[in-house]
Amino acid sequence: MPVLSMTVNGKLVSAEVEGRTLLVQFLREILNLTGTHEGCDTSQCGCCTVQFNGKGVKSCTVLALGCNGGTVTTIEGLATDGKLHPMQAAFQEHHGLQCGFCTPGMIMSAVDMVNRMGNDLSDHTIREQLEGNICRCTGYHNIVKAIQAGAAAMKGS
Amino acid sequence: MYDFDYHRPASLDDVAAIISAHGDFKVLAGGMSLIPTLKLRLARYSGLVDLGGVESLKGITRDGNALVIGAMTPHATVATSPEVERAIPALADLARGIGDPLVRNRGTIGGSIANADPAADYPAGVLGLGATVWTNKRKIAADDFFVGLFETALRPDEIITAVSFPLAKAAGYAKLRQSASRFALVGVFVAKTARGVRVAVTGAGPSVFRFRDAEAALEKRFETSALDGIRVEADGLNSDIHASAEYRAHCVGVLTKRAVWAARSNPA
Amino acid sequence: MSQTARSSRIGEPVRRKEDLRLVTGKGCFSDDVSLPRQVFAVMVRSTHAHARILDVDTRKALASPGVLAVLTGRDLLADGLKPFPHKPFTSHPADIAMVNSDGTPLFSAPQYPLALGKVRYVGEIVAMVVATTVAAAKDGAELVDIGYAELPAVTNTVAAARPDATRLWDEARSNVCLDADTGDRKGTEAGFARAAHVVRFETWVQRVTGVPMEPRAAVCEYDAVTQRYTLHAGSGGAVRLKQELAAILDVPAENVRVLMQDVGGNFGTRGFIYPEFALVAWAARRVGRPVKWTCTRQESFLSDYQGRDLAVEAELALDADGNFLAMRGSNIGNAGAHTANFSPLRKGVEIMSSIYRMPAANFRARTVLSNTMMTRPYRSAGRPEVMYVMERLIDLAARECGFDRIELRRRNLLSQAELPYTNPWGMIYDSGAYHEVMEKALKLGDWAGFAERRAEARSRGKCRGIGVANYVDTATGVPRERGEVTVHPDGRVDVVIGIVSNGQGHETSFAQLVTEWLGVPFENVRIIAGDTDIVKVGGGTHGGRGMRLASIVIWNSSRQIIEKGTRLAALLLNSEPSEIEFKDGRFLLNGTGRSIGLFEVAAAGTQLKDLPDDLRGPLAAFSDETVNVAGFPYGCHVCEVEIDPELGTVEIVRYSAVDDVGRAVNPMIVHGQIHGGIAQGVGQALLEQCFYDAATGQLLSGSFMDYAMPRADSLPFFKTEISEVPSPTHPLGMRPAGEGGTTPALGVVINAVVDALAGYGVKHVEMPATPERIWRAIREAQTPSPAAANR
Repeated sequence: MPVLSMTVNGKLVSAEVEGRTLLVQFLREILNLTGTHEGCDTSQCGCCTVQFNGKGVKSCTVLALGCNGGTVTTIEGLATDGKLHPMQAAFQEHHGLQCGFCTPGMIMSAVDMVNRMGNDLSDHTIREQLEGNICRCTGYHNIVKAIQAGAAAMKGS
Repeated sequence: MYDFDYHRPASLDDVAAIISAHGDFKVLAGGMSLIPTLKLRLARYSGLVDLGGVESLKGITRDGNALVIGAMTPHATVATSPEVERAIPALADLARGIGDPLVRNRGTIGGSIANADPAADYPAGVLGLGATVWTNKRKIAADDFFVGLFETALRPDEIITAVSFPLAKAAGYAKLRQSASRFALVGVFVAKTARGVRVAVTGAGPSVFRFRDAEAALEKRFETSALDGIRVEADGLNSDIHASAEYRAHCVGVLTKRAVWAARSNPA
Repeated sequence: MSQTARSSRIGEPVRRKEDLRLVTGKGCFSDDVSLPRQVFAVMVRSTHAHARILDVDTRKALASPGVLAVLTGRDLLADGLKPFPHKPFTSHPADIAMVNSDGTPLFSAPQYPLALGKVRYVGEIVAMVVATTVAAAKDGAELVDIGYAELPAVTNTVAAARPDATRLWDEARSNVCLDADTGDRKGTEAGFARAAHVVRFETWVQRVTGVPMEPRAAVCEYDAVTQRYTLHAGSGGAVRLKQELAAILDVPAENVRVLMQDVGGNFGTRGFIYPEFALVAWAARRVGRPVKWTCTRQESFLSDYQGRDLAVEAELALDADGNFLAMRGSNIGNAGAHTANFSPLRKGVEIMSSIYRMPAANFRARTVLSNTMMTRPYRSAGRPEVMYVMERLIDLAARECGFDRIELRRRNLLSQAELPYTNPWGMIYDSGAYHEVMEKALKLGDWAGFAERRAEARSRGKCRGIGVANYVDTATGVPRERGEVTVHPDGRVDVVIGIVSNGQGHETSFAQLVTEWLGVPFENVRIIAGDTDIVKVGGGTHGGRGMRLASIVIWNSSRQIIEKGTRLAALLLNSEPSEIEFKDGRFLLNGTGRSIGLFEVAAAGTQLKDLPDDLRGPLAAFSDETVNVAGFPYGCHVCEVEIDPELGTVEIVRYSAVDDVGRAVNPMIVHGQIHGGIAQGVGQALLEQCFYDAATGQLLSGSFMDYAMPRADSLPFFKTEISEVPSPTHPLGMRPAGEGGTTPALGVVINAVVDALAGYGVKHVEMPATPERIWRAIREAQTPSPAAANR
């Protein structure tokens, strides 16, 4: 089997994988990083969102070998020095989660959104840019508020 | 997924060599359609050749009166490119509406048109602008490229390298999303080009098609009112749980007007 | 403001404890559990909606690399597995009794975890393949060869009820397995006889599904020495799952342990055991290794319990002034292929008249079997359907008879003086400020300013409409719950309870109760719910029973702890219990300034040797309560939509809600519940449908590509307000809050849509109100045809 090496959450990892191994399977099953979730099989729900080389991607639709030599950040790698990332803190503060299953993907997608669109996000922009993430619990109300606040808090952090 | 051999060559020649050596290998672009298809075991290949390592397939260049977009250029790059915005803003608009931001970070123009999903956005832009699809073997006019449902003129060993879009005098894209998949239920791309007005419709039929009656009407007068009374027949259009052929035919009419409106208010 | 600076007592919007792990990816959902030596199961599902199974050939599959076992219905019977312990009606004395009007017993359609003899819906499991990897199991599954003799299928609710419909069960006389006459026929006839107006409404409240974001998953190990099964699987309640699993495996309940940690959504979908949970347990015993199964989303659409699906014909009689005189009609619920659950039918029909004065009512209530996945309660089971019918009837009455729709509601809405009120089915509404809440909602939604907004929208080519809907919810569910509270000398308090959070935030809100009543730090309270070796009794999370029952058993336990602690403190302070007052976690000796803390008292109880028997030991108490009264949350929602009349697309532009929850323990969580509830109601009104092909019984909406749900851009910010009129039927005044968001949402959205289109003469649009349906409604209203109303 081919050997795959990449940097995940700042650590260099390598393992033998099959051609068909998806990034999400590599993260969950081989690295035991179970914070990245799989909620569908058609790339719709966004529960599996991670950052690959600085960009948000749906890890259920990316082959692990395609990420060879790259850098991946998962939800487990967002907090630094035991301190919540501003987006994580905003989700708690604004009750942007209920069951929490879509949450890692939501947060990773929100961070990607800020990276692409900046810190000052209108609720309209957030709703449009959140098209690739489905939540069934919150009606999105508090997710939008959380992202707005988290984006602002990321300024200068 | 069935297992397969994975290859990630760095040059187009190497891609071609692998493909010609193995008859049933498949080219992988952004993977946004191919990987879900494989996951559901709807297709089986003994090998995948990932184009992600071929740098020459990425990028956007202005070539005289044409905009050339490399096959492996992600939708996000097209959506945010100042070059595209200046040359054909309607194309940037179209790219901004494909899938969702995470899909746009991975999905590519080459992958999209090679897949020829009947509800994809890019085929409307490619056909509507009368673009030319460049492959490692030849150049194919958009009118000859889209052949049918998930079917193109590409030969098995042929790889798209770029799409060349002639600049239009005006262009616009309007679509109605299917509410679940968010693909186009109906999308209409209208362009006033050097070689006449072109109207391309996606989502409504088994493959992207030109709306000739609308083109003729707009050729006379590039205004929404020119389209009054011009309709597309429902016969032969898609009918599914999301919409009947009749409703899709109606939407083609409405969205053609909206695309014209968008084109007029945003000339290239 | 920091977490610790905030008060953490009842009524405070305390930030959730569970979030710290959930936002950092450290939650533990079912598929996150992996056991050493585990192997994987894949289900082979029926591709036919109705067929006889001629033969299941497993030989090729067994020979496939990595395959350890291929199990079929025949193996299952040989091993003595039992059918599902379905109880179509949850026994709750506050709900009405429903029996066949001809006196015959209800037909019961037994369900085994694997199909026997016949398949009756697409997705029914015919065989299970166990292999060393998921991929190997899938390879094996493709090689299981099943011979079918296809039979005609029926999926449509009304069609399935016809006497000549294809019968699913040879043993039954027809597909109708319950046919009850409810309410008062004579009084209703009298009401209709003197009516000045009669309004008629026929509709189908479509089939939808809960779609919790976490797909189901389960892993089970079997210990051959102790003969015990340990199942890790998310559900609404661990104890019920344990009992249900033991019943199917036909083993004593103590031979089963169920464990669950985080559960990614429920909405009723996880309200009952699934075949796969029993199958992995059985397989674990057969193959001698832990067996894991994870549902794909496509399998979820086929095999998750579905919801709603009610065909209604209703009539409302009014006098010349608009006073309601009576209502009557017929409700047909579609149970799917087995008689799993009829609760939604009952919980709907018993409150058809909502919170309006209704002198008499009579409804025929039927349940039919069909070649579809089974239905069970989905968020607010039964009530959104009937509130939708009532609120549509009122708007139709206003329109057809020339009444103002608000005035018509005001005229018939029960006043506070009329409460408690017994409705035509005998349901007793406890209390409520129905008028005040409706007026608040109209104000919150700025009903008065609507005309101006409509005119402005018209200038942009949009049709704007506004709707209002009142609702009442009957919260019953499993009536028994138990809570145990233990005060540990080291400063911790444990609460053991049979109610698992599926996103409701119980670790936070239940802890707030303990903080309030025992005065202990919020951070030190731990809620234990997901391990049946610790939790012995409990009904789980459903039917608005979580906080309603938890608060009672935690309150009772807390009072006992204070009482016992007071006597201990009196001993320790050399005084009498009557001299001791408990405040903020300390026992105070009146007038002395001397006091002793709760945890010190707990320590004394375990350490001192010479205590009376009843004071010795851990400072703990339990309460095991059976609550036989229902809760009646109610409220009023106002919705505003804009419609693009050319394409028929709908945008929800304003949504305001006032919901009475009696007493909000954590208003932040309550608002969140209402937001989510609204979204699911809007989803049903505009987007969602489980679409079975009528000819073949195939599910055509089997993935997120075809099952539409609200996304962030489908919804506006909501304006939600909580009303707190204490319920006299709950010791702490609480009313459930989890379902009220959904209950009126179907009706209010459709009322707004129809109002937007009123100018075209449109009288009704069926759910989901898709762009095509709206476009057709406009077209057909302009060229009237009899079919126009129901397209």
